Amino acid sequence: MANMRATPADDDQPDRWEAQLRKGALEMAALASLWKGRLYGLEIIRFLERHSRLVLAEGTIYPILNRLKTEGMLTSEWVEAEAGHPRKYYSLTDAGRKRLRLMAEAWVSFSQGLSQLLEPVMDTKEISQ
Amino acid sequence: MTQEMQIESYLTALRYHLGPLTIGEREEIVLEISAHIRDSAEEPGASIASVLAGLGPADKLAAQYRDGLLIRQASRSISPLLLLRATLRLATKGIFGIFVFCCAILGYSSGVVLVFAALAKPFFPANTGLWLQDGRFVDSGVLHFPPPAPPSHEVLGMWLIPLALTLGSLTLLLTTWAIRASLRLSQRLQSKLCISAAASVKAGI
Repeated sequence: MANMRATPADDDQPDRWEAQLRKGALEMAALASLWKGRLYGLEIIRFLERHSRLVLAEGTIYPILNRLKTEGMLTSEWVEAEAGHPRKYYSLTDAGRKRLRLMAEAWVSFSQGLSQLLEPVMDTKEISQ
Repeated sequence: MTQEMQIESYLTALRYHLGPLTIGEREEIVLEISAHIRDSAEEPGASIASVLAGLGPADKLAAQYRDGLLIRQASRSISPLLLLRATLRLATKGIFGIFVFCCAILGYSSGVVLVFAALAKPFFPANTGLWLQDGRFVDSGVLHFPPPAPPSHEVLGMWLIPLALTLGSLTLLLTTWAIRASLRLSQRLQSKLCISAAASVKAGI
C-alpha cells in the first residue's frame, strides 16, 4: 500500500484527487481506530501511524473528528487526565459502527475488483516493453 | 518567545479564525487543540515548534472546521445569503460546485425578477409585462421605458400579478430546495468518491 502523507495544506497540493483520497481514507481510518474502544485525538493519530501506515499531519484529524461527531457517527466526553489537563475521548455510536461496516465492505469489494483490473497494469515486465 | 507564549499565540490565532462558530464550539476546539499541543510536546524528541508545525497554520486549521460547518448549516437553512455563500465555497472545490453556484445565481435572479414584476405591475401597468404583435413575441420586461410602440400590445394585463408571483415564488422555493439537496449530495458524493479513490490506491495505483 502506498505510504500516504496527509498535510494540513491539502488545497496546495497539485493533485486534488490525491488530496480527496487522503481525506476519504482518513475518515474511514479514524472510525476504524475507535472500533475497539474510546481514544483521544493524539491516541488516534498514533494508532493510525502504527497500524495503517497512514502518516498523518496532526491538524488534519481534528476537523474530521469534529465533523463525524456532528454527523452522529461519534460521541465525545471530556476526561480529566494526570497530565493536568482534560482530554476529549471519542467513541463510535451505533450509527458510526454501521457506517464503518458499510465503508469496510465497500473498500474490500472495490479493492478486490480493482486489483484484478490492475494486475496487467502493475506488471512491470509489460511496462518495460 | 517562551514556549507558553508560543502556545497561547497559536491558540489566540485559532480562536480568532474560528469566529463564525458559536462560543461553545470554538472554546471546545481550542481546548482540544491545546491538550493536543501539551500532550505532543511531552513526547520524546518533540518541541513546541515541531508540534505547531505539525498542526499547520492556525488559519488553515480553522478553515477546515469552518468549511464543513458552513456547508452543513446551509444544507438545513433557507437563507439565500447563507446558501449562496455555501455554493460559492463549493464552487472552489470543483466542477460540480461551479455548476451548483451558476444554477443558484440563475434560479434566485429569475425568481426575484418575477416577484419584482408582480410588485411593479400595479404601479407601472403600461411598462411591465409581455408584448405581442400579430400573435408573435415582441418584448417582455419590468419597468420598460418606453414600452414597445403600437401595434404591439401588452397581453397579460393584471393576470401578470398572480402569474409572476406564483412562478417567482415557485422558482425561489425550487432553487432553495435544489441548493440544499446539492449541498447534501456533495457531502455524500465526497465520501463515496473518497472511499473509491482510497480503494484504488490500496489496489496498487
